[in-house]
Amino acid sequence: MKQTLLKSVLLLFFSALPALAMAQGTVSGNITEASSGQPLPGANVVVKGTTNGTTSDFDGNFQITVNSFPAVLEFSSLGYETKEVNVTGPTTLNVSLDESATGLDEVIVTGLATSIKRTNAANAVASISAEALVGTTPPPTVDGALYGKFPGAVVTANSGAPGGGLSIRLRGATSITGNSQPLYILDGVYIDNSSISNGTNFVSAAAAGGNASNQDNPTNRLADLNPYDIENIEILKGASAAAIYGSRASAGVVIITTKRGREGKTKFNFSQSAGFVSAINLLGTRNFTEQTVADAFGAAAVPLFVAARDSGQLFDYEEEIFGENGFISNTNLSLNGGTDKTSYYASVSHNNEDGIVQNTGYEKTSLRLNLDHRPRDYVKFGFSANYVYSSSDRGFFNNDNSGTTIGVSLTGTRPFDNLFPDENGVFPDNPNGSSNVLQTRDLITNNEEVNRLILGGSANFDLYKSEKSSLQLILRGGLDIYSLESLGLFPKELQFQNPDNGGLNGVSIQGTTLNKNYNLSGFLVHNYYSDSGINFRSQAGLTREFFDRNTNLITGSTLVASETNIDQAANTGVNQTRIRQEDAGFFVQEEVNFDDKVILTAGLRGDRSSNNGDADELFYYPKGSLAVNLHNFGVGGEGTILSQLKFRAAYGESGNFPVFGSTFTSFGTFSTSGLLGISLGGVRGDSDLGPERQREFETGLDFGLFNNRIRAAFTYYIKTVDDLLLQPTLEPSTGFASQFINAGSLRNNGVEFTIEANIFDNEDFKWYFDANFFTNDSEITELNVPAFNVGAFGATLGTFRIEEGASATQLVGIGPNADPATGLQVFGDSAPDFTVAFNNRLEYKDFELTFLWQWKQGGDNVNLTALLTDLNGTSADFDRIDLDPAGQVGNGAFRLSNLGVSAEPFVEDASYLRLRELGFYYNVPDSFIETAFKGHIEGIKLGFSGTNLINIFDYNSYDPEVSNFGSNGIFTGIEVTPFPSSKRFLFHLQVNF
Amino acid sequence: MKTYIKKLALIALVFGVIQSCTVEEFSDLNNPEVDAFSESLTRGDLQDLIGGVLFSSRAGLGTYYDDVAVVGREYYRFSSSDPRFTTDLLGGDASVLDNNTFYITTPWGARYRTVKNANIILDILDAQSGSNLFTAQEIEATRGYLRTWIANELLLNLNLTYEEGIRLEVADENNLGPFVSRTEALAGIRNILDQGAMELQNGGGNFPFRLTSGYDGFDTPATFRQVNRGLAARVAAYQEDFTGVLSLLGESFMNMDGSAASLNTGLYHVFSEAPTDLINPLFFALNSSSAGVRVAQPLFLTEAEAGDTRLSKIAMRDEAITFAELTGTHDFFLYTDREAPLSVIRNEELILLAAEANINTNPTAAIAALDLIRMSAGLPAYAGATDQASLVQEMLNQRRYSLYGEGHRWVDIRRYDMLDTLPIDRVERQDADGNTIQADDVWMNFPIPLTENQ
Repeated sequence: MKQTLLKSVLLLFFSALPALAMAQGTVSGNITEASSGQPLPGANVVVKGTTNGTTSDFDGNFQITVNSFPAVLEFSSLGYETKEVNVTGPTTLNVSLDESATGLDEVIVTGLATSIKRTNAANAVASISAEALVGTTPPPTVDGALYGKFPGAVVTANSGAPGGGLSIRLRGATSITGNSQPLYILDGVYIDNSSISNGTNFVSAAAAGGNASNQDNPTNRLADLNPYDIENIEILKGASAAAIYGSRASAGVVIITTKRGREGKTKFNFSQSAGFVSAINLLGTRNFTEQTVADAFGAAAVPLFVAARDSGQLFDYEEEIFGENGFISNTNLSLNGGTDKTSYYASVSHNNEDGIVQNTGYEKTSLRLNLDHRPRDYVKFGFSANYVYSSSDRGFFNNDNSGTTIGVSLTGTRPFDNLFPDENGVFPDNPNGSSNVLQTRDLITNNEEVNRLILGGSANFDLYKSEKSSLQLILRGGLDIYSLESLGLFPKELQFQNPDNGGLNGVSIQGTTLNKNYNLSGFLVHNYYSDSGINFRSQAGLTREFFDRNTNLITGSTLVASETNIDQAANTGVNQTRIRQEDAGFFVQEEVNFDDKVILTAGLRGDRSSNNGDADELFYYPKGSLAVNLHNFGVGGEGTILSQLKFRAAYGESGNFPVFGSTFTSFGTFSTSGLLGISLGGVRGDSDLGPERQREFETGLDFGLFNNRIRAAFTYYIKTVDDLLLQPTLEPSTGFASQFINAGSLRNNGVEFTIEANIFDNEDFKWYFDANFFTNDSEITELNVPAFNVGAFGATLGTFRIEEGASATQLVGIGPNADPATGLQVFGDSAPDFTVAFNNRLEYKDFELTFLWQWKQGGDNVNLTALLTDLNGTSADFDRIDLDPAGQVGNGAFRLSNLGVSAEPFVEDASYLRLRELGFYYNVPDSFIETAFKGHIEGIKLGFSGTNLINIFDYNSYDPEVSNFGSNGIFTGIEVTPFPSSKRFLFHLQVNF
Repeated sequence: MKTYIKKLALIALVFGVIQSCTVEEFSDLNNPEVDAFSESLTRGDLQDLIGGVLFSSRAGLGTYYDDVAVVGREYYRFSSSDPRFTTDLLGGDASVLDNNTFYITTPWGARYRTVKNANIILDILDAQSGSNLFTAQEIEATRGYLRTWIANELLLNLNLTYEEGIRLEVADENNLGPFVSRTEALAGIRNILDQGAMELQNGGGNFPFRLTSGYDGFDTPATFRQVNRGLAARVAAYQEDFTGVLSLLGESFMNMDGSAASLNTGLYHVFSEAPTDLINPLFFALNSSSAGVRVAQPLFLTEAEAGDTRLSKIAMRDEAITFAELTGTHDFFLYTDREAPLSVIRNEELILLAAEANINTNPTAAIAALDLIRMSAGLPAYAGATDQASLVQEMLNQRRYSLYGEGHRWVDIRRYDMLDTLPIDRVERQDADGNTIQADDVWMNFPIPLTENQ
């Protein structure tokens, strides 16, 4: 092996560098891990200031030809501190690398094709390691692991139903109606993160009252990824970092890199977790008396209540529905290894999670194979394949207008009505509502099943390489293809399906979505080192993305017998939706690095897309940045307290496409008693629509103290979004409800602060601590259409309002102090005042304890769950008196008395403090393993972990983190009888062999 | 090595060329675009466009009828998922009508949607001059048909906003006309109807499109014109132009034979359970729970004359229902299944309009018309006083029972300035803690939707 390596190194340099004049020689040696003394394969050895480099082999050995002495050799490896060694002539050198405690030596991916050392980066790029992602406690979905891990992100779980459904907002509101979810890139593949409606609105009629938004509570497709496969996640939070991604980058870019094989013998990693989930918080039931029953349900209900009470037959239906402990099991097996030419990582994982409601759950199986092959020294191929099967049973929750969802009908379920099935399994009708919650829970099906394949391939060619310059060609392609089948089955036995109760006699809703995205890109990267130690890195590239989705939703009602096939239905309807988009772009970027002292970058991206009104128009997005490592100028630096000090500033622009269809004004197709007809869809398109343009400026200081044992970063950013894509209401007398236009500007500015510290770092005791804080303010700085309400249930109950000079996420409503001109008054804002997270990791001998607290202060919700229970007289706090300022009226009556008068009681503070993650592990000592397993096993780890174990909030419902309208736009935090969120308890076993 | 580089350069070049291709521009892949029809209109296109009017003229009607009937105290609408039917609409406690809530925005927007659908067709027709696919008469008939619908939709919106008025000129969406007063709006609506009647008159023997079974008897330009004249008579009555009412009724489909069948003759909206279609929005199964039910206001039953067969419009529930302190024993049951047709205008109203128009000038004729209605309802002939006020009272009462739940009671009692005679179901009272809960209010009109930016 040594021979071939030597040969190829020599071949490369002798053939590529024919003209060598200076003293030349070979340095060879061995690289080891400082703590264990084990050889370190795959470490990089580079002659500083040149493109000349190599990597250590399986045994940690390296050999490098140095063209000119004296030289500085730089030894680095991911996860280890970089070391520089001066060599004056050919020699043998043994080097040991220390494990990095600081993360400062890691590289971050900032360009499409290149990466940069964190110490040289001009942006506050958040990076989440595998350890941070799954090390404390494995999250149910990848996005669920991002809470509190870095500043600038507001993560919201839309529902507690198993299988995900989260939205992420990076640095405030970036778009009002356009996409506000970040772009996800997995190993170079643009992956889809849609939430596709499953059509249960046909039964719930949630959108019948004028709210056309998606209230079907679907999962988001990011849930398909296996968190255990991930090596690292990087988050580019805004245009200043993400400009190179152009028109899709406005909401930020999340770059996910999966684990890859490492040279060495095959290593197996097996982990098994098992545990359960339970509801975070149940509301309880109202403690009824004869009087309150009579007030709420009329005198006729009193004897029913008395009979039930006297026979001990008062039921807690909330407990009945949400009181389950759902079983969780996660199994994961991965292996990795390789030779100097080929390495691989493969994994199999299976998750099975039950919800806190019977018949809900989530199951996922994921297979992955990542292969790297280096047939020649100048060619490298990478390939990754990921197959995912997932199936989620979502239950039937959220808003409705038909009294059918479990959530809404639970609010009208009285404790003295017996809804349990008789001995034949026949459920009684709910006498006080249109559905029996227990029957609905047991008989309906609301399932989403996904089969997904994500393939990525890359090829790197060293086209040219010399002492001072090199040219590299990188080609990349990716494919993300999945089918999503949804089944909503509402059998005719259901109370609300009974034709005598006005039902449809059974409904079957079957949806099929085929989604195919693929992207191709090619880049050229040129590196040049000047004699004075300046590195110029130039890159240029072309990218192309294709998106194609086709959804068929078939709805059948009046089912024959107990058939569920659509052809067994008396009435069927079909709805097909196609979405296609093609984007093409190019970019150029120049990076100048003055000996790690000053790093300058400038770049330009150009994009065209079929989604713009004019598909041929190119939109340009420039960027520029500056990082100055002051410690390399003698401000602090080696030997002082201030071990690192960096000033950085970055500017960039990015875009956000109009959503598909917004450039057209179209008819919808309907029928009237068999006669087809086309009627206006209500939305007026604009054929001149263009993308939104975001301009972000970010600046900050990074510093390290006491040999970088304490590291902190302070960032200020200001970003504006111009040509805001809006869908303001039109005067309804135009015949349209709304129109798409570019009209307005939005500004976000905020502050982010992170601090990390290795407080103790001894052999036996280590204590690592980090904290992050951020705050963001948004303002609509310009609005070229009249102010409009959007995104909730109208001003009576509290709604968002887009208004010049106000926050983009303000909540307004009718009220006693309303502005006479609008009839509205401001009651709150859904954006938090600030968010703080504290993370601690303690290691004592073989024990590890990790815990993460997250505190969100401020941010309001519109809580309509309480209102619905009030209207039905069932609120747990109906008779308690703590809302009425006069201290006279019970809470239920108080809220009701405000209905139609003021939206104030429905807008509630959604602050919370949570113990997001807790992990406690025991590493079985090596000595014991050695004796017991005779070298067959390398490590065993046992532990316990939990998610959301402590939740403190003063919010009058299950959880302040909720969104009835899913991840739609920026308007989260509207609550209507959701699936309550849950806490997780898990036990772990992890074995390496 | 060199050959490799050459090959790779070639690959890079090819790749680059492929990349630099322009992107494809897609049309709306899911729906027909409005612009697609502007040039040559085929008969099939016209059928589809008219089908759009048939569809959209039924959208949001459930909310419209609930608005008029709840404010007019004909029935209660209980909905456990939407309290505003029992708070805002009835003026419960301190609540008022909001200008951005579904009860006004939904029906208002839906009616103007139909107006826009019709105006788009009128524009397309204007661009078809010289088309050899349609005769001039067919185009004229289509215009008359569309104008009649525009007038009907505008009138329904005016019924909601009343003195606040409506926009009459909305054909140019970028340059909307102003809100005009009720008087001006009524005159404008009547003008549109008159123009439509003229066009229908010149419209030849047939429409160039098919219509639903709801048009049975009124599916030609000549017969549809009788509907147009009936609607104009309704407008004339609202204008208190009683001479006009009588002359318009003469051109309408009014039929005084008094049979149940002839009373129900008229133009109907029809429904089906096909998923792209609408079902009758006013149907609920008998004994529905407070999740969604319409319950007759109790006085409709108790104030009825003995033997009035029109009480079949309500049905006794198995158990009384109480919601939001309102209790009823009978369900509103005018529509007995999901596909029951819903009347746009029918003969019974025309006869009552004749009675109303004659009260001043010809009380005998008025009483004759009222008696015709009374007898068809199983009641004896009118025996009360024959002074004008008494006859108005009797006429309003007959309208109350004959047109129950069809969108008239509130409108009628309002134009006779008698809103204060409507019952207040929840009077001022104290809650358990001794706080005053205000009495219900009877509203005069709905506010103009916020989004009209008035």
